[in-house]
Amino acid sequence: MSTLDCNAFWNQLERWMEGERSSDAQAHLRGCPNCRGVVNDLDSIRQTAHAMDDADVAPPDRIWASLRSQLEQEGLIHADRHGWAETVKGWFEEIFAVVPRPALAGAYLVALIAVGFALAAPGYRHSDGAQISTRPLTAQLNTDEEHAISFVTDSDPVVAASLRKNLAIVDNYIALCEKSVQEEPENEFARDYLYGAYQQKADLLAQMTERGDTR
Amino acid sequence: MVGNTAEAEDLTQEAFLQLFRKISTFRGESAFSTWLHRLAVNVVLMKLRKKSGKETSLEQVTEPDEESGTPRRDFGAPDLKLSGSLDRVNIQRAVDQLPPGYKAVFVLHDVQGYEHNEIAEIMGCSIGNSKSQLHKARMRLRELLHEIVREKAREDRRAAESASSGED
Repeated sequence: MSTLDCNAFWNQLERWMEGERSSDAQAHLRGCPNCRGVVNDLDSIRQTAHAMDDADVAPPDRIWASLRSQLEQEGLIHADRHGWAETVKGWFEEIFAVVPRPALAGAYLVALIAVGFALAAPGYRHSDGAQISTRPLTAQLNTDEEHAISFVTDSDPVVAASLRKNLAIVDNYIALCEKSVQEEPENEFARDYLYGAYQQKADLLAQMTERGDTR
Repeated sequence: MVGNTAEAEDLTQEAFLQLFRKISTFRGESAFSTWLHRLAVNVVLMKLRKKSGKETSLEQVTEPDEESGTPRRDFGAPDLKLSGSLDRVNIQRAVDQLPPGYKAVFVLHDVQGYEHNEIAEIMGCSIGNSKSQLHKARMRLRELLHEIVREKAREDRRAAESASSGED
């Protein structure tokens, strides 16, 4: 027979949920469907929340492009793109050499690898080595941009503003890449970055369009 | 934690920017992972505070304030699991309505699996405070989920009434 009433059990509820379970509290719970309902609810909330962990979701590549653009603007890094990727990689590796939590270190190393490869991978070139023309892509992107912006115009202003901000950052990145290509047309890295920048913009516009479709 | 992909991406970028800007201030007094997580949580909390119209420091987030009330004792409420309202979507809706301090502790502990001692370091509060905030967050979530259940019941009733009046 429990000596606890519901109020007394309620006072122990926080400790109960932390695993401190007195025999009185256990006895009360066995005989009280209302308090049992509360505990069941809290347990269910905890279990459902645990299943929501999205820790493995990696940020899209455009985050790294935007980050780089912003860091360049602030003068925290310089425009030597290949060198930058290698420098940052080395910098992160030094930091994470002393990180004691492997999961966290792993997550950020994945991010690092995304940065390095998004900037350095030679993924968008014709197999015969011919120079890639960006003109058709630019025309398509301009069309997509008008389409996507019209979709978000009437949506949540916070989301719309956020997406537009990202778009402005990517546009700035594209401008930087185009300048680099004009200055060094034979620089294969500069061409790769430019093509990658357009890809980032296409991804962002697709996301804006999808967001508009769901509203 | 922000319940919005675009905002989450913005905040991810902002957290990395802060990392670049502030790395020189890391003195090794805590684990780097803790320092980094605190920086990221700080970025998110500042954003959440701005959205709710309150400019508050991280230290104030877990101090007794608007989040210090004793959880309401509605013993007789229906069991959420039995009412079928405990799914990911409803929990996310309810979490979005939590005050920033509750939300941070709840997400760190119940979603991401951090221990109270880790949360205390990240949030700059005591372990007891972390436990207390978590309990209040769960109790508030339970209330919010019950509100969602009640709202759903009202909607169903209205829909049934309009359907029956359409038949008349």
